[in-house]
Amino acid sequence: MSAAQLAAQIRAGTRRAADVVEERLADIQARNATFNAFTEVTATRARAEAAAVDAKVAAGQDPGPMAGVPVAVKNLFDLEGLTTLAGAKIERDTPPALRDAFLVRQMRSAGAVMLGALNMDEYAYGFTTENAHFGPCHNPHDLTRIAGGSSGGSAVAVAGGLVPITLGSDTNGSIRVPASLCGIWGLKPTYGRLSRSGGFLFAASFDHLGPFARELADLALVYNALQGEDREDPAQHWLGFAPVTPLPEIGGLRIGMAGDHFTRGGHAEGYAAVAAVGRALGATQSVTIPDAAMGRAAAFLITMAEGANLHLPNLRSRPEDFDFATRDRFLAGALLPAHWVQQAQRVRAAYRAKALAIFDEVDVLIAPATPYVAPKIGQDMIEVEGVSLPVRPNLGVYTQPISCIGLPVIAAPIADPVGLGTPGGMPIGVQLIAAPWAEEKLFRVAARLEQLGICAAPAVRS
Amino acid sequence: MSEFDAEAYAWQAAAAINLPLNPAHLPGITMNLALAKRMAGLIEQVKLSPADEAAPVYVVRKMP
Repeated sequence: MSAAQLAAQIRAGTRRAADVVEERLADIQARNATFNAFTEVTATRARAEAAAVDAKVAAGQDPGPMAGVPVAVKNLFDLEGLTTLAGAKIERDTPPALRDAFLVRQMRSAGAVMLGALNMDEYAYGFTTENAHFGPCHNPHDLTRIAGGSSGGSAVAVAGGLVPITLGSDTNGSIRVPASLCGIWGLKPTYGRLSRSGGFLFAASFDHLGPFARELADLALVYNALQGEDREDPAQHWLGFAPVTPLPEIGGLRIGMAGDHFTRGGHAEGYAAVAAVGRALGATQSVTIPDAAMGRAAAFLITMAEGANLHLPNLRSRPEDFDFATRDRFLAGALLPAHWVQQAQRVRAAYRAKALAIFDEVDVLIAPATPYVAPKIGQDMIEVEGVSLPVRPNLGVYTQPISCIGLPVIAAPIADPVGLGTPGGMPIGVQLIAAPWAEEKLFRVAARLEQLGICAAPAVRS
Repeated sequence: MSEFDAEAYAWQAAAAINLPLNPAHLPGITMNLALAKRMAGLIEQVKLSPADEAAPVYVVRKMP
């Protein structure tokens, strides 16, 4: 059952939010250790929020479009009364948050019930969620494989069926990579669309927040609830409420296949996923995003510099308390010549101008989301086109050029990865990419792919 | 021009920003610096004019 259907039942009074919460809490208690998704379960809060929803229904009041829907968030979102960990041991010393993050408040206003905080790469600097302090997340489709990251817990909680909707963050691919590897829907909206207030920043000029869901209808449900003006976020560019409806109407949309950079550097399953989606949509036009590799390089350098600057006080005073996987990247980032970073920011702007021009030709682009299915936990290297490459940074090869310039993306899961012939039948997704502020087009294309049976969250095989 | 010596550079640049380094962290730092240098080499190839501004533009205040 989708979250949207669940909310409808609760709103109609045929099901109690309190019962749903107890069912979810028991399931999380029983199965979370298998996945290592939750780092904190907010049972008391969840019971109180569910009771408030049921009380509204009983009183004939509107409990909101997400009435009683269980949700959870990456542990970089502020939750009132909890310390915001951002995946870091260092943050355990930080006082509890005084109020919820803006997007958490939006979901609560819509009637959602908060079940807790989720595992992630330390300070969101990673693509694997192999956290040295809190342990690795396990992919529900194969527990020996990574979930992807950095929003690994958010993807695992949804793919594993612990909750139907979660929130994560995406700086270089941290929603799209785990969505692809866990086989669920993910949305990275346009940079500046959703408020980031109360989210622990990583590289602010790239930081996006967004949702995960097993059902496309639920992705739309939560995306609509998350929208709202927040003058506390300096990066938000509020254009007004722009609700989406996932109707499979793609008439008039020009759909292209991302060429060049997006056709190399990966394994066959990534390209097969794109080909399957393209065939289903009748897309034949190959469109090159000029200088995508330059955009990725610029994002790489700016991320290093912005992240390192944010954490320099702790890098100076307590470097041993960082996760070893992130520490050395941050330390190196603190040392970059200013020229590299400024050149990267100028290349980023020049690349943006070239990339935006392609939307004169197409409305939606299809590209791989990840270069391969989920690698094994602990795997350091992977062979790509005869070259042995580090697994972790290469996972973002197709996502970084897109978030570098803030384009909206839906990560769409291939419904039948076994039929596609992926290694081990593991999930994989594609990126549906549009021009800034054109999320609505993405939902229409995604809905068409769902209708055709090409995209959907594949069931976890026992 | 001399070759880039990542280890020597790391020590000197760290000293300039008062960042103590643990020698045990140097292999990871120099590996990441080398990777960053490869990325920087890519973006050096992009021809920019004096009119190419950096991506983030300072805004004095959000419009009401």
